[in-house]
Amino acid sequence: MKNTKYKVLALLAFLAVNTACLNDLDTEPKVEQTLENLLAADPNAVEGLLSRLYASFALSSVEGPDKSDISGADPGESPFVRGLVNLQDFTADDMKNRWGDNGLDQLTTTANWTSNNKFFKYVYDRIYYTVPQATNLILIMKSDKVNYANKNQVVDELRYLRALSYYYLIDLFGKGALVTDENFNTSALLPETSRKELFNYVESELLAIETTLPASNSYGRANKACARMLLAKLYLNAEVYTGTSRYNDAANFINKIISEGGYQLETNIRKNFSSDNNTSKEIIFPLLADAVSSQSFGNTTYLVNGSISTDTMVPADFGAKQGWAGHRATKAWYGLFGNSIADLQASSDKRAKLFWTQGHNWEMNDYKTWSDGLPSDKFWNKDSNGAGGATDFSSTDFPLFRLADVYLMYAECALRGAAGTTVPQGLIYLNQVRARAGATPLSTITLDVVLDERARELNFEGMRRQDLIRFGKFTGGTYLWPWKGGVKNGTSISDNYKIFPIPSTALQSNPNLTQNPGY
Amino acid sequence: MIVNNFTTVLKIAPAFLLASTIMHAQTKDTLSKEKKIDEVVLVGYGKQKKSDLTGSITAVSEKDFNKGAIVSADQLITGKAPGVRITNAGGSPDSAPNIRIRGGSSFSANNNPLIVIDGVPLDTNNPAGVGNPLNLINPNDIESFSILKDASATAIYGNRGSNGVIIIKTKRGGGKLKISLNTNVSVGTVTRYIDVMNADEFTKFINQNYPNYSYLLGVGGNSANPSQPGTIYNTDWQKAIYRNSVSSDNNLSVSGSLFNKVPTRLSVGYNRTEGVIRTSDYERFSTGLNITPSFFDNHLKIDISLKGLFSKLNAIDDGGAIGGAINMNPTLPIYQSQTNLIGDPYNRFGGYYQNIVLKGNQYLIQGQSNPLAILMQRSSPQKIAKFLGNAEINYKFHFLPDLRAIVNLGLEASRSNLKTVYSDNAIATYRNPQNLFVPNDYVFSPGVDYAEHQNIVNQTMDAYLVYEKRYSGFLSHFLVQGGYSYQNFKNDGYKDQYRYDDVTGRRVPNPGTALNPTNRYYNVLNLQSFIGRANIDFYDKYLFTLNFRADASSLFQKGERWGYFPGVGFAWKVNKDFFTESSSVKDLKLRLGWGRTGNADIVSVAGFYPSSPYFSIGGSNSQYFPGVGTYSALPFNPGLTWETTETWNAGIDFSFFSQDRISGSIDVYKRKTSNLLAKVPLPAGQGLSNEFTTNVGSLENKGVEFNLTVVPVKTENLNWSVSGNFGYNDSKILSLGDVSYFPDNSSTLPIGTGIKIANNAIGYQPYSAWVLQQVYDENGKPLDNVYVDRNNDGIINEKDRYYKAIRPRWTYGFSTSLTYKNWDLNAAFRGQIGGLIYNTRKLAQGFKSYTVPQNSQNLNNVLTSTADSPFTLSDNLYFSDYFLEDASFLKLDNVTIGYLFKNVFKNTNVRVYGSVNNVYTWTNYSGQDPENFTGIDNNFYPRPRTYTIGFNFNF
Repeated sequence: MKNTKYKVLALLAFLAVNTACLNDLDTEPKVEQTLENLLAADPNAVEGLLSRLYASFALSSVEGPDKSDISGADPGESPFVRGLVNLQDFTADDMKNRWGDNGLDQLTTTANWTSNNKFFKYVYDRIYYTVPQATNLILIMKSDKVNYANKNQVVDELRYLRALSYYYLIDLFGKGALVTDENFNTSALLPETSRKELFNYVESELLAIETTLPASNSYGRANKACARMLLAKLYLNAEVYTGTSRYNDAANFINKIISEGGYQLETNIRKNFSSDNNTSKEIIFPLLADAVSSQSFGNTTYLVNGSISTDTMVPADFGAKQGWAGHRATKAWYGLFGNSIADLQASSDKRAKLFWTQGHNWEMNDYKTWSDGLPSDKFWNKDSNGAGGATDFSSTDFPLFRLADVYLMYAECALRGAAGTTVPQGLIYLNQVRARAGATPLSTITLDVVLDERARELNFEGMRRQDLIRFGKFTGGTYLWPWKGGVKNGTSISDNYKIFPIPSTALQSNPNLTQNPGY
Repeated sequence: MIVNNFTTVLKIAPAFLLASTIMHAQTKDTLSKEKKIDEVVLVGYGKQKKSDLTGSITAVSEKDFNKGAIVSADQLITGKAPGVRITNAGGSPDSAPNIRIRGGSSFSANNNPLIVIDGVPLDTNNPAGVGNPLNLINPNDIESFSILKDASATAIYGNRGSNGVIIIKTKRGGGKLKISLNTNVSVGTVTRYIDVMNADEFTKFINQNYPNYSYLLGVGGNSANPSQPGTIYNTDWQKAIYRNSVSSDNNLSVSGSLFNKVPTRLSVGYNRTEGVIRTSDYERFSTGLNITPSFFDNHLKIDISLKGLFSKLNAIDDGGAIGGAINMNPTLPIYQSQTNLIGDPYNRFGGYYQNIVLKGNQYLIQGQSNPLAILMQRSSPQKIAKFLGNAEINYKFHFLPDLRAIVNLGLEASRSNLKTVYSDNAIATYRNPQNLFVPNDYVFSPGVDYAEHQNIVNQTMDAYLVYEKRYSGFLSHFLVQGGYSYQNFKNDGYKDQYRYDDVTGRRVPNPGTALNPTNRYYNVLNLQSFIGRANIDFYDKYLFTLNFRADASSLFQKGERWGYFPGVGFAWKVNKDFFTESSSVKDLKLRLGWGRTGNADIVSVAGFYPSSPYFSIGGSNSQYFPGVGTYSALPFNPGLTWETTETWNAGIDFSFFSQDRISGSIDVYKRKTSNLLAKVPLPAGQGLSNEFTTNVGSLENKGVEFNLTVVPVKTENLNWSVSGNFGYNDSKILSLGDVSYFPDNSSTLPIGTGIKIANNAIGYQPYSAWVLQQVYDENGKPLDNVYVDRNNDGIINEKDRYYKAIRPRWTYGFSTSLTYKNWDLNAAFRGQIGGLIYNTRKLAQGFKSYTVPQNSQNLNNVLTSTADSPFTLSDNLYFSDYFLEDASFLKLDNVTIGYLFKNVFKNTNVRVYGSVNNVYTWTNYSGQDPENFTGIDNNFYPRPRTYTIGFNFNF
């Protein structure tokens, strides 16, 4: 019937129009950007993506210091610098913390380590945030979606950041899944890669980019010296990582940094740890911070605020607005300058003055008591002349690698018989470091002397545990420090503590991964 | 594209109608007239007679609603439907209700049921500033609720039906002119305070235990003389921030038939509710218009419903006010005028007393901020203007009256404006600038601290054809229905953010970034479906229902987008076969149902674009290299797809004796959710973050529901009915992919950092607390840091923890209604058996050393019982099961007495009533209120006891 035909036609038209609406299911955001939109909208987009990857070592997220891009992580506790210092300095002899915080006591006493400790997990998750993000970006850069003049350099810098993350994986956790350009984004579970294989991979990556990275780059970005520094560190610790020592190779790159890097020791002892350290000639690779535009509770803000308490100090004197009353150094560190507070005050070594003594006790009878132990003033939020107001977040960049370290590494390599180094030259470099600090020069050096000088110079910079392990003094009972093993004067700890336990969440999500021995 | 589509649809619909009007058939209406209203139940996309239902559906109509001080629609049905657990988040006027039908079936996905108002499914994402979406509809306009519980009923809602569906129908006009005016006034009071020390107890405690800190007691003490307290004041901080609230609700509705033909109803309402915390105020102005004209001899019915609403809420800082009041030192005064400190700097804070200390040449705020000042010096108005409109066009074909075409068009639009404003001398904005050459050592920044503006536009369109025919004999009823549904949710907003400048101390705007200068967010969700249903009844005794739905969501990639959700229901009217002559068995029906429903509502955990690669724009305080904006690759999962739940349900509906003296139903069900959407840890390095939402795992819910209504007395003068319901639900996680458990991110304790007390673990109920077993001494007092070593390995660590389910298995409610001549009396109870609640106060303020400063010059108050507390704060203390208390309770939720004055004037009835809400709670819980959805009791906004007196005028 005619009526039926009308009806059917209208109905079909109705349905046809409606099925055209099915395209609406492809929604698109207006704030979040696809890669194409981003590259088109911002000419600096590639640098912005790269900037974000560098920021992964300093910030908790790109949405503010109170957000974390790692799920389930406290945004204040989880950033990388904080984690590095927690895992390398609090477990060692130089720093102790009193908060507890469901896991810090394990670090402070270097005892009772469990695979559920959230502080280990923060660092592990951060490593495995930077690695896939960097790989993702490398693949994007290598593809033809991106037209950018300096593409290759950007890829090199991303490879550096990835290698840096793997370096910390090797040092702290010993093994893990190896994500590379080839196997990225597969759904099949990756196998576990051993410490030695990770070492080989990192070595090959760094050797490849060491040749192509520029000699100098804009502030905060990786350059040739950064790659060489990382190679030097890798080789210096090779015996610990792989069983085979590579001091010759370490020395090779140490020499190149010294001769070609163009770095020199800063005369002002405080310069490297002040808010104007962005002009330091000594820092090889910094992790940036800014009180206004690059805020984090886990960059140097943690080191500065954590070492202050209104009980005994005035935060504004250090450029801080709050004191968190957490960290104090132990006599294993400040005891290297003298035997009492009076000795520290009388010492010619300016580094001895970088401890706060008023209201504090030399002995750390209880690590939970603020006044036991001397807080370290090494990092502060004023400039190297002491000027600057108090801010909530610190503007001091964190010196991950610097020249003084290289000089001491040279001395160590020389004592270990590395080719290309001589002990007298090592003594000269060590004395340069001492002279800068106002300490009297030494006439001879031994490995123990170098280790002590490394402590005086480099403590609280995220490497002490690594040094102690290399010198065979971290585990066992030959070297004791306050609260080692949970005992006031220290006790022996077992050898499996050279490596952190792999977080249980990682073991659960990838059954190919296995736990480290003893946990 | 969306707007074009919608306009196109609007253009087609009238053309369609026009085409039909050309037809000339004037077939008589052979369908029987509309049944009495209480026998018709709303099902998805239609209505059915209650006796024809095959699914598990509970209908709650106006006579069953909870009475008394009702602000939001969910309060009408709390405790009235078995298996439906409604727990609001506290006594705030805008408190969000958590509604669970038969337990939750998801982790990451939203567990709230779908709410449909007059055919328009509501957006599950609330507008900014709205805690309770059901606050946006005036409860006085609601006629009935229909709660669909099993999949044979909800499968027709497919993608959003996994957690049940609540269908709300508002009142329509019609008949003679009726004017109704309802007005009431309520007063609310706090029922229970937290037992913290008063000034005497606190002074004694500090002097005895920490005499070196006595100087921090009261005002005027000096650290040079540590054991000498200052002038002691006696302040009850809780009483200072609470008040007796006065609220009123007024509604006028006019209903009738315009021109004697078009049923119309117009309603206007004004509600002003005060919360029991000072400055916590809520105001709502609502209006509604319903017109249901019909044309062409009832062949074309148009049901137009328009609702408009304006509301304003003053949001308070819960943590600062409630938490602050409990924490605050009771020996300090509230106002500066109570002390003898006059002039600068003591008078800086607008008359409130605030501890300050001189450091250098600046006065810095010391210790905690005055909690009353936190409330009074801040106003946070959240204003919403909302429009909800829909038109349902129901056309009965002239040539074929059994065939109807129904088009439902809905539009939900709202605009939110939120801001936070500080008064002139607000302690929260007090800063000390760095530059000491300014005239003062301090500066305030009154004014706006935060603002957000949001526009939401949601469009709905359903179009379907229904063919329904009733016969007698073998095939008694045949209905087939098919159609299409389109929903689009769009919300677009931006934020004005501020920060404090370190140098000047003043608040300045926080700039956006180059690509996002206004801090904008823009989210779109699009859902489209095809639906079909068939009802086939034999002999009016054997009833079959078949539903089918195919759904697509914009959250998923093309290959994973479609989900298919069938449902089957069968019912057998047993009384027609076996008890046909019996006068005692009026109704006995056996129901069986099976169905599959879906859930994809993961926007709160995964955002609106979780399956495609996008980059987010870094904020202005998260830059790194200068001059370059940061961009971050967001994690995504291209394989995301629907979570599906399969439900089996069996039930019996019964009604015995004439006048339905005993009636009720029993249901037994099992629900299994698979492809569970959960945010689980990814294998290291194999994703762009450490966790992301994937489809993994399965979960099972099993339970029983029972409800019974008994009418013992039903005479001309006296009517008495009692009804009760209970539900038992047990959930268990069956699998989680490769993982055996993961911590639940919503169980973070408010003290410590990032401590999560509950896990989702295989073999246990979701959200189960993972705790250590506390050891007690012979007097029943807990021993500090002594726990049961469950695995006997000599160390107490996570291997000694065990699981305890937090959510209750049993929930119940019962109510009674008594009418004698013109008097009526109603009382309603509800409760739960089992369930646990973590008493955070007992932990946070349960150890002695909490009172003394840790890096501050500030004493903290503790519970009175802490004077004998054995505890010291250790890592394991947070996990002690001592803090997990039994949350079983029975609450007498309201008692209402009313008297009806009949025919006061011509045709006018006036009912006067008085009622009390939240009358009394019987419980063993030592904290404030055991009814807590999250299971973690912290800074809970107390539910007030409210006394109401009201009038209903009906002309």
